[in-house]
Amino acid sequence: MQYALLIYEDEAIYGPDKAGPAMEEIVSCHMAFNRELGSARIGGAGLKGTVSATTIRTKNGAKSVHDGPYAEAKEQLGGFYLIEAPDLDAAIAIARKVPVLQDGAIEIGPLLGGA
Amino acid sequence: MSADLLAAAVRQAGGRIVAALAARYRDLDLAEEAFAEACARAAGAWSREEPPRDAAAWLYRTAERCALDWLRRRQVRQRLRPDPPPPTPTVEDEMSDDASLIPDERLRLIFVCCHPAVAPEARAALTLRLVCGLSTLEIAEAFLLTEATLAQRLVRAKRKIAEAGVPFEIPGPDAWPERLEAVLSTIEIAYSKAHEDAAGAGPHAAYAEEMLGATRVLAELLPREPEVLALAATVRYAEARRPARLDDGGVMVPLAEQDPRFFDRARIAEAEAYLHQAARLNPAGPRALHAAIHSAWCARCSLEEPAPWPAVLRLYDALLTLGDDPVVRLNRAVALNEVMGAAAALAEIEALNGAGLAAFRPYHAVRAALLTKVGRKVEARDAYRRLLALAPPSAERLWLEKCLATLEH
Repeated sequence: MQYALLIYEDEAIYGPDKAGPAMEEIVSCHMAFNRELGSARIGGAGLKGTVSATTIRTKNGAKSVHDGPYAEAKEQLGGFYLIEAPDLDAAIAIARKVPVLQDGAIEIGPLLGGA
Repeated sequence: MSADLLAAAVRQAGGRIVAALAARYRDLDLAEEAFAEACARAAGAWSREEPPRDAAAWLYRTAERCALDWLRRRQVRQRLRPDPPPPTPTVEDEMSDDASLIPDERLRLIFVCCHPAVAPEARAALTLRLVCGLSTLEIAEAFLLTEATLAQRLVRAKRKIAEAGVPFEIPGPDAWPERLEAVLSTIEIAYSKAHEDAAGAGPHAAYAEEMLGATRVLAELLPREPEVLALAATVRYAEARRPARLDDGGVMVPLAEQDPRFFDRARIAEAEAYLHQAARLNPAGPRALHAAIHSAWCARCSLEEPAPWPAVLRLYDALLTLGDDPVVRLNRAVALNEVMGAAAALAEIEALNGAGLAAFRPYHAVRAALLTKVGRKVEARDAYRRLLALAPPSAERLWLEKCLATLEH
C-alpha cells in the first residue's frame, strides 16, 4: 500500500526563515532517513515556513485567496513523505523513524487508490 | 431441535469460525457475512434433512464456500484472474472434527481488533462481536449504548482496519509490549463494565461469562505471558466473589463484609492456578500484583478471620512503585484507612482532588465513607448525594442510600 506521512512540528524552533542551526540539524537527519528509506520512498518534501503559505478557500462556489496556512495551530504541516509499505504496521514502523526535533506528530494516511 | 443445535454451534464455535475466515481472506466484513449466510443456510437445511454430525465443521465449510463464491464474483467484476478453485474436501476432511478442521486464528483476530490504530472505544466491542460472537444488541446493552450507535462504531472500526491496511498478523517481537498491552487493557475495560454491577442482573450479566472465555482463550494461546495469566486469574477471583456481593435485599455488600462461605471455590482454584503460573514468570508485574490482591481476599474462609488489609496495603505499595496511578492511590487509601486510620487515608484522598476522578464513582464512595468515619457529616452527606447523582447500578444505589440514611439521624 501507499501512505502519506505528514509531519507536524512547531516551526518556531527552526527560526523565522527555517535557516538556523536547528534546520541544519533536522535536514541532515532527513537526509539520513531518506537513505534508509531507499526504494520505500515514493516522494516527499519539506515546506518553507507558514509565513510563505497561501490558502485558497472555496465558499458557496466562490474562491478567494488568503495569506497564511489553512489552519492556525500550535504545530504546522512542515513536510511530508509518500511511501510504499506492505501494511499499516510497516508504515507505522517507518513513521516512527521520521526525524522530529522536539515535540511533534506524524500523521499516517493511506493514499486513495494506493492499495 | 435443529435450531438448538445451530444456536449451540454458533455459541461454541462462531468466534473461531469467523476468526479463521477473517485471517484467511483478510476481510472482516466478508468473514462475518459468510458466516451469517452459512447460519441462514443451516437453519433451512438442518430442518429439512438430518443435521450434520459436526455442526461447527459444516458451518465452517459452508461459510468458506460462500466467501469464495463472493470473492470470485468480485474478482470477475474487477476483471482479475480468479484464484484456483478450493480443494474439494477429501474423505478425511469430511471425517475430521472441527478442532482440526478450523484453524484457530482467534489470537490473530484479537490483535487486529485491538490494534492501536483502532479507536479505543471500539476495540472491546469489535473483539466481543468478532471473537466472542456476541450480537450487536448484546454488546450495545453491555456498553449502555443504542444498537444503532454501537453498530455505527463497529462499521467505522472495520472500515478503518480495511482502509488503513491494518495487517492480519500477530505483531513481531519489537511491537509486542505495546500491542499486548492494548489487548489486555481492552479486556480489562470490558470486564470492569461487567464487574461494576454487583447484582449481575443488569445488561452485563452474560458478558462476565464472555470475559472468562476471552481470558481463557488468551491464556491458552499465550501460556508464557505472565500479564495474560494474571488477568485470567483476576477475572476469576472477581467472579468467584460474585455470589457474596449482594445481600438478601439486593443491596451491595462491601468487600470486607462479603461472606467467604459464598465464594465459588472451584473458580478460585482456577484463578490460583493461573496466578501461580503468572507469579512464577514475573511476580512483580502490575497485573500479577492486582491478582494477588484479589487472591488475598479470596483466601479468607470466614468473616471471623481478620480481613487481609495489611497484606493488601503492601501490595498497593508495590503497585505504586511501578507507576503513579490515581486509581491505585484511591484503592490504597481504603487499605490505609484500615491500617493507619481514616485521617491518614483522607489526606491521601484529598491529594487526589483534580486527578480526573470527578465522574469516578469509587472516588466519591471512598471519600464519603472516610468523611463519615472522621465525623465530617455534612460533607459526607454531600458526597453521597453527588454519588447518587452519578446513576449507580441498583445494588450500589441501595447501599449508598443506606449509608446516607445512617448519616441523617
